[in-house]
Amino acid sequence: MERRELVRWLVATAGLHALDALAPTDLLALGREVHGSQDPALRALSPHAERTVAAAAERIIPGADVTAFIDKMLADWHTPAERERFLAGLPDLDTRCRTRVGRDFIDCTAADQDAVLTTLDDEVTALRAGSGSAANRHWFAMLKYLTVYGWCTSEPGMRSLGLYPMAGRYDGCAPL
Amino acid sequence: MTDFDAIVVGSGMTGGWAAKELTERGLRTLVLEAGRPITPERDYVEHKPPWEMPFRGLGDARAVAARQSTQSHSTSFDEWSHVFWTDDADNPYSTPSDRPFHWFRARQVGGKSIIWGRQVYRWSDLDFEANVRDAVAVDWPIRYADLAPWYDHVERFIGVSGRAEGLAQLPDGPFLPPMQFNCVEQHVRDRMQVKFGRDRLLTIGRVAVLTAPHNGRAPCHYCGPCHRGCITRSYFSSVNATLPAARATGRLTLRPFSIVRSLIYDAAKGRVTGVRMIDAKTKTEREYTARVIFLCASALESARILLNSGLANSSGQVGRNLMDHIKWGGANGQFEGWTDRRIIGNRPNGIYVPRFRNVTSRHPDFIRGYGFQGGAGRAGWQAALRAPGIGPAFKARLSQLGPWTMNFGGFGEMLPREENRATLHPTLTDAWGIPTLHIECRWSENELAMHRDMNVAAVELLEAAGANHIEPSSSGPSTPGNTNHEMGTARMGRDPKTSVLNGWNQAWEVPNLFVTDGAAMTSSGCQNPSLTYMALTARACDYAVAQMKRREL
Repeated sequence: MERRELVRWLVATAGLHALDALAPTDLLALGREVHGSQDPALRALSPHAERTVAAAAERIIPGADVTAFIDKMLADWHTPAERERFLAGLPDLDTRCRTRVGRDFIDCTAADQDAVLTTLDDEVTALRAGSGSAANRHWFAMLKYLTVYGWCTSEPGMRSLGLYPMAGRYDGCAPL
Repeated sequence: MTDFDAIVVGSGMTGGWAAKELTERGLRTLVLEAGRPITPERDYVEHKPPWEMPFRGLGDARAVAARQSTQSHSTSFDEWSHVFWTDDADNPYSTPSDRPFHWFRARQVGGKSIIWGRQVYRWSDLDFEANVRDAVAVDWPIRYADLAPWYDHVERFIGVSGRAEGLAQLPDGPFLPPMQFNCVEQHVRDRMQVKFGRDRLLTIGRVAVLTAPHNGRAPCHYCGPCHRGCITRSYFSSVNATLPAARATGRLTLRPFSIVRSLIYDAAKGRVTGVRMIDAKTKTEREYTARVIFLCASALESARILLNSGLANSSGQVGRNLMDHIKWGGANGQFEGWTDRRIIGNRPNGIYVPRFRNVTSRHPDFIRGYGFQGGAGRAGWQAALRAPGIGPAFKARLSQLGPWTMNFGGFGEMLPREENRATLHPTLTDAWGIPTLHIECRWSENELAMHRDMNVAAVELLEAAGANHIEPSSSGPSTPGNTNHEMGTARMGRDPKTSVLNGWNQAWEVPNLFVTDGAAMTSSGCQNPSLTYMALTARACDYAVAQMKRREL
């Protein structure tokens, strides 16, 4: 039985005793997939991609909580080509972490995650020196943009930026 | 016996004024609006935060591409306000493929008065005498003295905040208290005064947004996005002010979803007797009759109705002389200092530099002139969207404000030229089967020279103010129509052979037909035009009713 089918069967039959038969790594993967498959709102991101995006966003902006927004944008706003570019690029986080420490991105330490993200961020910055539009097309630039935009337009984000609730008055030269 | 005393086509900026003035003078008035009704408590969305929007303010890109790609070019089109703009697929028009024209349209009660920029500036005789002075097109049949009392009348009702500056080219009005400058705008004003005296003056925008309670409407609370509506009725729109006043008379009938196809003409009497309209929802036709008809449907829609009616066009001027204002020239610069100062609240207004070219001196490259709009501020998180870094330090950076910057953007006068025109499209119709327009419009060398000069002069202003990192605009001229100031397609004049309307906005050939929206404009000035449309409307209504009472109409 394929793992995905097994998961579906387990969820459908509540046959959780079958978990005993699974190796620890499979168990971990299963937990992730069950978690992911229980979120009907997710439409562009696979459960693994969702966890990867969530982990990366958390390192870019701690507390951002933007995964649902990013999934929505990928599913309904970006062009199919942009979405594919993003989804094709995202596994690069796993590739780099496996090369580095032999684990997927989500299983890395925060320090390793930061190192990988910083390398990618530097690559985008280097691209930007040549061409802003080339930099913006990079899948990591998309991830970071959506993370920052999602945070700054969320309720906690706008509160933390002092943009919400609104002041209700105007002062054009107020002390900082 | 007619169904109504008066029919007003359109419920926006000028239609609302016609409704108010006609009903207050005793006329039973039918207002026909092509779009849906608007209930502020249900339809205004200015306080909806971004996280309640599906795309956080970025808009439904696919829906916009499919149905509103033209409308989305407007600066006040966004995910919230898109409901106040028309569906391009239902409302097509054509242009030559190499000459785009942005025709921004709003079909709902309130029309474009819901989404307008609210900047209101009087004209002066520098503008009304311009055509005859330059031997361009035809002379205006009126002068500032004819319109001044009507500017007063309109400004007193709508409420205009601003500073009296005593400039001949930009007459003052009965202003409410001005909005505040911010630190850098005040500095730039002061430095410009030292360098240019009164030749180039920076004032606060004159804006139809209340800074004090006025006629039962509340002052502005500085939330910012007026173009999404205003539940406190602090900015002027027909929904917020003129239509309620008309309704209060008991003589207003407002019929939404009513698309006027054409006017009904009695050739024997030489008068219009009513309108043919299509119900937008049922697509059934019906007619209404009245003694007098006001076209207030917007410059291009009113011209379209005249062309579809084959009326008032012996001069051949209907649809011609289409004008807009040219923009996208200017500059921005940075200012050192005031790093311990910030802006609280969102002022729905900027600064204004009244026209200074060809006022007391003569520019070698062009006639007429332009005004600058703009303002100063400090960038927030938007400036860090693409900045390098991750983690808590990067997150903290999002809260930091950038340096103060100031920008000037020109709005330049466009000359009336016959070849800039709208004609009936031979085959294309809208979703209701009504022939639509083919629009041909382009800038002339005069406008393009003005656009180049905007960069030069804006840099001079910023240099005088001590800015650094000054960058002139890298943008070419705006697409005609993009300023949303389209006008001139049924111009006023002194001669029926060369104009459509006389000095009372009355069709030369059809005495009981008035056109009082932007179509009536004989030249374009460089000021935002809505105030002048409103003053012309109120003046024409007063004239029409007086004529009716004397049984001369």
